[in-house]
Amino acid sequence: MVMTLNIAKKILSIGKEEARKLGVPCSIAIVDDKGWLVALHRMDGALSPTADIARDKAWTAAVFKMPSSDVTRFGNPTSPGFGFNTQNWNDRLTTIAGGLPAEAGGKVIGGVGVCGGTTEQDVSLCQAVVEVISQLTSNKSGSRLT
Amino acid sequence: MKELTLEMAEKMLEAAERWASDIARIPCSTAVVDKAGALIAVHRMDGAAIATTEIAIEKAWSAVAFKIPTLMMSRWLDPRTVGEPLGDHAFGMVGRGKGRLCFIPGGIPITGDDGEIIGGIGNSGVPSGVGDISDTSVSQAGISALYD
Repeated sequence: MVMTLNIAKKILSIGKEEARKLGVPCSIAIVDDKGWLVALHRMDGALSPTADIARDKAWTAAVFKMPSSDVTRFGNPTSPGFGFNTQNWNDRLTTIAGGLPAEAGGKVIGGVGVCGGTTEQDVSLCQAVVEVISQLTSNKSGSRLT
Repeated sequence: MKELTLEMAEKMLEAAERWASDIARIPCSTAVVDKAGALIAVHRMDGAAIATTEIAIEKAWSAVAFKIPTLMMSRWLDPRTVGEPLGDHAFGMVGRGKGRLCFIPGGIPITGDDGEIIGGIGNSGVPSGVGDISDTSVSQAGISALYD
């Protein structure tokens, strides 16, 4: 199971629908398991920097295989990872909430990043999208989407 | 057309992908930016090289930044065009725009109703250069979708 453009398009349209319901124009980025961009949409009315931030969140979630906000624990002054924020992570590392790894069949197949609303809105939108991915890929009828 | 919307961008990407997969038969990346050069949407087709996403965005940005297709900009750097009009005269331009300027053919600005540039489209993954099957032709297929 890998992230394909078809899956990305499908979940983008669902994510955008959710965002319209919330009334939050936002950017949604989908990356593959190595963090490389597969698709990104910036909704009308979303600020232009949201595109890059969404992409950074998706990258962070995919390569660390954890929610982007969880990455902060590495930077705790008492942890051995203190100072890791000063490393050059391809300029992509972010600790802002709103990026989640996309899992299918117990494996991380990519990442999703949402930016545009408050942190809570971003996270809830992101969760909705990630859940769709696991549903799409878990049931047999969804496999034709790949 | 006064402004590019995400809906229009998706329509363009759809058409570009169809062209790339049915006619060029090469997976590639396509990006659409607005009149400020800010990304609206980008798609990387399955099997397209990972570097193509960034290059597609850069081409679209460059086309908007200079308001001309990057095919014409590539001529600025072509050493064979020394002394010719619009020929090799801009080598210092390489790496400008915080490294975002891209002189590879494949980016085209999109013109609105009143002749203003309202955005740009860029494509990467198909051989660039000039020809029937090129990055530019995929971008053109995308722009044509606006007039369907």
